[in-house]
Amino acid sequence: MAGHDATFKDDLIKAIPSLRAFAISLSQRNDRADDLVQETLVKAWDKQASFQMGTNLKAWLFTILRNEFYSQMRKRGREVQDSDGVITAGVAIHPGQQGAIDLKDFRKALETLPEDQREAIILIGASGFSYEEAAEICGVAVGTIKSRVSRARTRLQEILGIDGEGDFGPDAISSQVLGSVAVV
Amino acid sequence: MSGMDKNPRRGQGGQNKADGLGSNSEIGRKLKQYYDELVTEQVPDRFADLLRQLDTKESGSKKE
Repeated sequence: MAGHDATFKDDLIKAIPSLRAFAISLSQRNDRADDLVQETLVKAWDKQASFQMGTNLKAWLFTILRNEFYSQMRKRGREVQDSDGVITAGVAIHPGQQGAIDLKDFRKALETLPEDQREAIILIGASGFSYEEAAEICGVAVGTIKSRVSRARTRLQEILGIDGEGDFGPDAISSQVLGSVAVV
Repeated sequence: MSGMDKNPRRGQGGQNKADGLGSNSEIGRKLKQYYDELVTEQVPDRFADLLRQLDTKESGSKKE
């Protein structure tokens, strides 16, 4: 007899901005992202009975959205990128003066990442999920998420010509060195 | 947004220190800036309309 209570609906509404952000990060396209969010909401609504109260609704919704994204990609006949063991061609983006990276460069760099690495670094570094939650969302082991995040971070650093933690951009020389590394 | 996560931002400080995505890291900061911009974008009306439709449809059909 339990229909859809108002709380569930409210929680869905509250989750929409983060779902959209994740969808845009995954698909890199706003129109497709909105379709993904719409599908996710419909599926979540139909599957509400299978959602266990007291567990993490946001993680549950992200899982649905992610599955939807990959199943749409397969339907379109696109190979799902699997970066494990694959060396992708580097695209060096030269940050502006003083090593200040603007958001446009960062977005471009993010787009060059394989999907599995991009989603991992977004879930951990931006959406606020723990490694355990991200592993569950992606259906892989915690260690796999850790290594994807680490490779994603390294690759972004290479592309953007910054090294390590706590720095505010490279000097001219290290920028050149890192730049040449990135185009290997 | 609060109340949505059972464990909001759990352990994030320690976690991010370990993975180099904390506020000391340029990548970590840019990542959050990129994402926050997306999160704060205006949400299209279609989603609220959709949920309203789903709600109406259900109470109308009384399938349970």
